[in-house]
Amino acid sequence: MSSFFYSGQVRRFLTQFIRLVSNFEVLLGKNRNGINSLLRVPVYYGDSSRNVASILNLNSENTMPSVPAMTVNIGSIKYDRNRVQEPYHVSKVNIRQRAYNPITGDYTDQQGDMLTVERLMPVPYMLTLKLDIWTSNTEQKLQLFEQISVLFNPSLEIQSSDSYVDWTSLSYITLVDIAWTSRNVPMGAEDTIDVMTYTFELPIWISAPAKVKRMGVIQKIISSIYDPADGITPGADTFDIQASILTSRRIFTPIDLNVLYLGNTLKLFVSDNQIQFNDQSDPPYTDGDWHVAVQGFGELANLPSTGNVLVNGISQVRLDNDSGSVVGTVAYHPTDTSLLIFNADVDTLPVNTLAPVSGIIDPLNIKVTSALLNPTVGTRYLLLNPIGDARNDDGDPTTIDGPALWNRLGQPELVANAYDIIQWNGSRWLVAFDSVATTSVEYVTNLNTGIQYKWKNQQWTKSVEGLYGVGAWSFVP
Amino acid sequence: MPRLSLWKDGKHSNDYKFIDRRVSEMFTISGTGVLLHKYLGPAFQGNTGDVTQPNYINQSERNIQDLLFLENRDRVYDTSVYKLRGIYQVSDSAFDLTQFGLFLQTGTLFINFHINDMIEVLGRRIMNGDVVELEHLIDYDTLNPDLPTALKRFFVVSDCVRSAEGYSPTWWPHLWRCKINPLVDSQEYRDILGKITVRQNYDGTESVNTDSLRDLISTYERYTEISDAIVEQAEVDLPKSGYDTDSVYTYDRDNIDEPDFKVSGYLSGSGLPPNGLPATSGIVFPSNPTEGDYCLRTDYMPNRLFRYNGSRWVKIEDAVRTNITNNDTTNKTLRNSFITNSATFTDVNGRVQTQKQNLNDILKPKAD
Repeated sequence: MSSFFYSGQVRRFLTQFIRLVSNFEVLLGKNRNGINSLLRVPVYYGDSSRNVASILNLNSENTMPSVPAMTVNIGSIKYDRNRVQEPYHVSKVNIRQRAYNPITGDYTDQQGDMLTVERLMPVPYMLTLKLDIWTSNTEQKLQLFEQISVLFNPSLEIQSSDSYVDWTSLSYITLVDIAWTSRNVPMGAEDTIDVMTYTFELPIWISAPAKVKRMGVIQKIISSIYDPADGITPGADTFDIQASILTSRRIFTPIDLNVLYLGNTLKLFVSDNQIQFNDQSDPPYTDGDWHVAVQGFGELANLPSTGNVLVNGISQVRLDNDSGSVVGTVAYHPTDTSLLIFNADVDTLPVNTLAPVSGIIDPLNIKVTSALLNPTVGTRYLLLNPIGDARNDDGDPTTIDGPALWNRLGQPELVANAYDIIQWNGSRWLVAFDSVATTSVEYVTNLNTGIQYKWKNQQWTKSVEGLYGVGAWSFVP
Repeated sequence: MPRLSLWKDGKHSNDYKFIDRRVSEMFTISGTGVLLHKYLGPAFQGNTGDVTQPNYINQSERNIQDLLFLENRDRVYDTSVYKLRGIYQVSDSAFDLTQFGLFLQTGTLFINFHINDMIEVLGRRIMNGDVVELEHLIDYDTLNPDLPTALKRFFVVSDCVRSAEGYSPTWWPHLWRCKINPLVDSQEYRDILGKITVRQNYDGTESVNTDSLRDLISTYERYTEISDAIVEQAEVDLPKSGYDTDSVYTYDRDNIDEPDFKVSGYLSGSGLPPNGLPATSGIVFPSNPTEGDYCLRTDYMPNRLFRYNGSRWVKIEDAVRTNITNNDTTNKTLRNSFITNSATFTDVNGRVQTQKQNLNDILKPKAD
């Protein structure tokens, strides 16, 4: 992949600047027929190559330059230390586009691409532009001066593009100096063309290319749910699909709101995704207020209602993870506005793939109980640390080389790794789940706490609890 | 016997006349052809109401158009072209590339004319502001073979003095030395350049081309085309001020087809409904609206987009985006509303006046 990039950022500012000072006119006095006329003043870049200048001159000494004219050139461009901001800041903005019809060349009323645009902090520069005004007489010069001078008081906004995500496009031009004439006063021996020079400053930003990705936020899911009241005629033995109503149930995912599922609560965190030039770093999460967040959808009322009302204790929140979705009813927490009480529907929890364990134990720090000394058949424990070491086993079944709690005389030594699950089979402890060898995703419930755990990436984590970011959770009215 | 003397107490002696005829003959034999456009004075400007810009009755090269700036901007030249002979030292010239384009760095020439011949033909001496055309410098081979005529070489006289080399032993001067600079297409010389049209092709046939000499010999048209192209590209890059959100889909969380808001940003209001939905426009709201109807009120400045929510019309946005090309009629910026304002009003006396007036003139009495 080439590292080349160029989007003509300074070039576009120059183009817009020339546009800004274009279309000025001078009023010529009456000619021999008594007619006044207006002459438009051309504006062009003042640093042409000799080749082009020669072409414009038709390669002839007899061609005449024309006045009045205006030329623009870059006076200087300097790094603007005063406007430096966090160089590593990356701003993200999510954009939905309208669908584009290539046949008609128009945007339709349908949704098109959904994009996430990541923008790296641009680099500040101060661009100095010179505007030279070439005139052949003082009256002409004053006419142009008067027209141009009311443009800048003292600044004028300038844009290099109208792209909604281009945070470098907007700048302003400030008039900083005017050199009235290039001639001596009086003009002396030469009757040269007079040049008046305006000096302008533009604080601009030079940006690296953006990263454009498919939008990672799930903003809308429509699931069709059959409404039996309208679909099935009592007594009928067939289902009339035409007569039924497929009701759409809307799911809302608020932007900028994140949820921490912990225990039976959902804690709300707000992340600020607003784009500000002054942002020094990614904004931190702050506690949110569920009462405010819910307002975007109506209200979380105590009584069932119709429309877009969320019902306290009935409406649901859906948490999406890599194993599916966990759905549970929600209700306001009585004291903490950043919490919702969440009662997960057990049917939506991931299905256990392993038999449940009686508890999670640390074999290096465990209180020996009768339950451990006399376990029932099928008792299972999840280990936080290893038990035994194969190097300690001398192979003599008449001696116990490992920890006495986990070994029985005449039985093979128990050697288990951290995160293994061990099981009592009636005569000895053996490894029922080998954490080293297992790479698949597994689920198991701790019967002691009722919490389900997930085995993934060689570690156990709570299966559904944790932080659900933007797009990973949604309201279901 | 009187003492021998070529100086005759201020009289032009026969010696002087003899030498002068020889000098004239020399110019006839060895001088180059010069066509001179005689400056006649500033064009009549009528009553300007400004004492420093007098309204002259007679055309004269002694008139001064602007007594404040001491300049003659709108000059009139004789429609007759005067043929003279001049002598100058041909020298090499080089182009100097300036911001303004290519300039002849050594384009200034010093050319001598025979005084008496000049006065006889012209009626006066050559003066500053006269324009001369050196016939032998005509260019038949420019880069554009489609030009209907060869390009002539014009100079403007910027200085005139008696030539030091033109004094004869009688101490009387015979030569008029003119400093001439390459002519620039400017307001001062449009009477020459704009007046001359091409009548003949190279082969002598009548040309259908009605371009003036200025159209052919000046860089104005070419630089104007360049300027227009730059502005056109600028309008492509930025058709209107602010940010374009019309191509952005407005997602309504309530899944309403006609959203009651629009994706917005700094100066992003276009007056168009979200998602390209239809809208009516006018100075009144439509009767019998239905919920979700949009209406652009054009009597608001800037125009304002409303949406009917079933009981009232709710503001969505103001149409603040505008073309910002300078002095364009579609430029709706505040400043431009003062500058490209062509509106009129009728005063209490029934006179129609333009709204756009200079501050210093507003309260002055006006003619009926």
